Amino acid sequence: MSVEIDTRPIWLLIFLKAVRPLFFLLMGLAFLYAVQMPTPEGLTIGGQRAIAIFFVCLILWVTNVVPLAITSLFAIVLVPLLGVLTQKDTYSLFGNEAVFFILGAFILAGAIMHSGLSNRIALNIMDRFGGSPRKLLLSIFLLAAVLSFFMSEHAVAAMLFPIVLEISKSLGLKPGKSNYGKLMFFALAWGCVIGGVGTFLGGARVPLAIGILKETTGASIEFLDYTIAVFPLVIIMMLVGYMLLTRFFPIDITGVESARQVLAKRLKGLGKMTYSEYCVGAVLGLTILAWIFFGRRFGLATIALSSVVMLFMLRLVRWKDIEEYVNWGIILMYGGAIILGTALDKSGAASWLVNGAIGKWATSPWTVFAIFSLLSIFLTEAMSNAAVIAILLPVSIGMAENLSMDPSIVTYSIAVPAGLAFMFPMSTPANAIAVSSNYITVKDMVKGGFIMCITAWLVFNLVAAYWWPLIGMGYSK
Amino acid sequence: MKKNYLNNPGSLKIDLMLRGIRIDDPLVKAWACGTSGVDILLPQNTLVNIPCREEFTKGSPYTIKKRDGNYLITDGAEEVPVSLVPRPEFYNRKTTTGVPFTSIAVVHGSYTVITPSPRCDFFNRSIECKYCAGNFDVKGSSNVTYTVEEVIETVEAVLKEKASEIIYLSIGFSESDDGGISFLKPYLTAIKKHFNCLVAVEALPPKQNHWIDETYAIGADSVLYNLEIFDPELFEIICPGRASLIGRKRYMESLEYAAKIFPNGTVASHLIVGLEPPGSTCMGIDYLTGIGVVPILPIYRPTSSRALRIEPLNAEIILPVYKHLYHAVKKSGVNMNWVRDISMVTTPIEVKTLAGDGASKTTLVENFYKTKIGIKAAWGLSTLRRKLRVKGSKDPSDSKH
Repeated sequence: MSVEIDTRPIWLLIFLKAVRPLFFLLMGLAFLYAVQMPTPEGLTIGGQRAIAIFFVCLILWVTNVVPLAITSLFAIVLVPLLGVLTQKDTYSLFGNEAVFFILGAFILAGAIMHSGLSNRIALNIMDRFGGSPRKLLLSIFLLAAVLSFFMSEHAVAAMLFPIVLEISKSLGLKPGKSNYGKLMFFALAWGCVIGGVGTFLGGARVPLAIGILKETTGASIEFLDYTIAVFPLVIIMMLVGYMLLTRFFPIDITGVESARQVLAKRLKGLGKMTYSEYCVGAVLGLTILAWIFFGRRFGLATIALSSVVMLFMLRLVRWKDIEEYVNWGIILMYGGAIILGTALDKSGAASWLVNGAIGKWATSPWTVFAIFSLLSIFLTEAMSNAAVIAILLPVSIGMAENLSMDPSIVTYSIAVPAGLAFMFPMSTPANAIAVSSNYITVKDMVKGGFIMCITAWLVFNLVAAYWWPLIGMGYSK
Repeated sequence: MKKNYLNNPGSLKIDLMLRGIRIDDPLVKAWACGTSGVDILLPQNTLVNIPCREEFTKGSPYTIKKRDGNYLITDGAEEVPVSLVPRPEFYNRKTTTGVPFTSIAVVHGSYTVITPSPRCDFFNRSIECKYCAGNFDVKGSSNVTYTVEEVIETVEAVLKEKASEIIYLSIGFSESDDGGISFLKPYLTAIKKHFNCLVAVEALPPKQNHWIDETYAIGADSVLYNLEIFDPELFEIICPGRASLIGRKRYMESLEYAAKIFPNGTVASHLIVGLEPPGSTCMGIDYLTGIGVVPILPIYRPTSSRALRIEPLNAEIILPVYKHLYHAVKKSGVNMNWVRDISMVTTPIEVKTLAGDGASKTTLVENFYKTKIGIKAAWGLSTLRRKLRVKGSKDPSDSKH
């Protein structure tokens, strides 16, 4: 293990070590004060406690001083402990459909990656369509986006990274200097980010948002409805992203022959398509069709879990193969977020909080939509997208009810922008992976990412204003 | 006029180390049996290992006598009361594997020197240091390496008997980039895992500085890279192995870097008095203190086969060097409390009695670090500092074996 010795003054190191316990102490005192203080007018005692828990979790999620999942567990402990919800209600919320949908999606993605199918698809597409620098760039961009429709964008970024890195090296691109190197890794990161919002499968945030929506209002959003609503945004952002990238970093190479040799070599190494790949592909295809046509009737989680069972019945995967792909931390995090959201809603805290905080500004459904989507898109740059949803969605649903807005529209206004993190490596793993290549600097990412963020927010609001009415969606109930 | 050093423990230590002592007392003779000298406690708790077997000691004016059950050292005219440092009990015992503890460890005052492998590859290449008294095996490749368990057993015996508080791990030269730290690592981590004691490491300067970071991270509380000779030309002549395979420059760089990593006053380097002109040693002292390193000044002990020392060499000539040592360390602000009470060498704090102007008084801090609580405090502070400073490595006391 490599060792680093911190040679800063010892008093500074002691101070920095003391910051953490001091932070928890102050937070604990503030929490006790918030719980003990006289209940504000219009708020129930349960609501007061729910708000206190919410702010503790908000601080912990934003600062990340403990893992996100542990903050969620803390919420699960505090909600029944302070009597906001009963123990039975609290723990039963963990059995939410969204949690099991996420679990199923993780296992399905794991099976695809483990079988090698995703890798084969990626290599084939790049090999077939990457005949020139421009085509190769486009194929990486589109491939990252399209794969992120079906798998977690994080998994796609991790899967494509070694391929793109090898291509960069084979082309002799110098890290930090080559425009084409930057372009390829931006294409990888932004392709994943944009594609990731295209369906429920790009990340677990949309299922989480729907879980909260369902628990608090009983309403839901279907797989196909979501994709139809969001697709224009994906198309426009892909076009904007490509134009922006090639304008910022003009292509500085003329041929990609050596890259094609690398792809050909890798493809050759894969051999012929295996039985397992065929079967996993077929199961995935059937699953997607079932989500589209039978999602409303059977439920998305039921379909996902049925497919998982089928994978194991057909012996396409073993539990040992899958375990490493299942992010239990995220599952815990989402369970806790749903419990917290429900606690805020059922105690009346959410609507009280929203009215007090932004009630004066949010005079119309349009402004509510614009404000929450803006908050979401900028918060997600600094926070986990799931945390953004856990923080904003319960209060926004409360506000929607006050303004007679459709709560599912408000869910879109937070869930979609929460996935559009372009600016920082810490915003999303796809960005972090791209920056880790050393071809892209943080400065490059901030510069391009800021423009993408603003554009994405504008496009999203325009899509909501002009596209959604055409497909029967509107701000009001 | 004949000088009298008996009234000053600092100068007496140096003169005794320089001239040795004649022994008549059978008990003292028995003490010194099998060791290179006899450990005596002079007034003001000044520890000294006095040569008594070498040829040059036969002309020493000093003898040790016993009167009314107490020991005293006399030069024929005057005398000073001293006490014999008790010979450690564990010297008479063996490890469970049958190795005599004396083969593994030697107590030198507050330090117990442990050499897990007495191998030094300089000997194999015939580029050994010319003054080397044979601590390391001249045959090089044919020696034993003590196991971690044997060393742990030895340390346990040392600490149980309270023979000393600090364990001093040393290693000879071997062809590696790390200066020998990878070899010492299992011993060091095991000692740190089992005992709450300070550990000093005497190694060779590694080729890259990250090994110095590693040395600190794995639990060394103090490090010594012994330059031995400051004069560049004499360094090449007397230490051909060190000069050709490591280089004087690398010694300097390593010491300078280590002084930034280790606590103030815990990085030290030997400069042997008597192998180069006193002025050169003084320049070495200035250089080392300037980079935050504690110079430790052993006196060269000539043997019949290795008569290298400069002549004339007497206390009058070298005492100013030791005075200079104290003043230079004091001036540079290097902490003197860590490297102290070693019988075989002279450390800056021991020669404060030579400095005059009231410096000879022991301070509260010095006395505190000699108490049981003080030793525990030193260990605690050192451990805390390591916990604060080291990133990306497990604390050695937490490691699982």
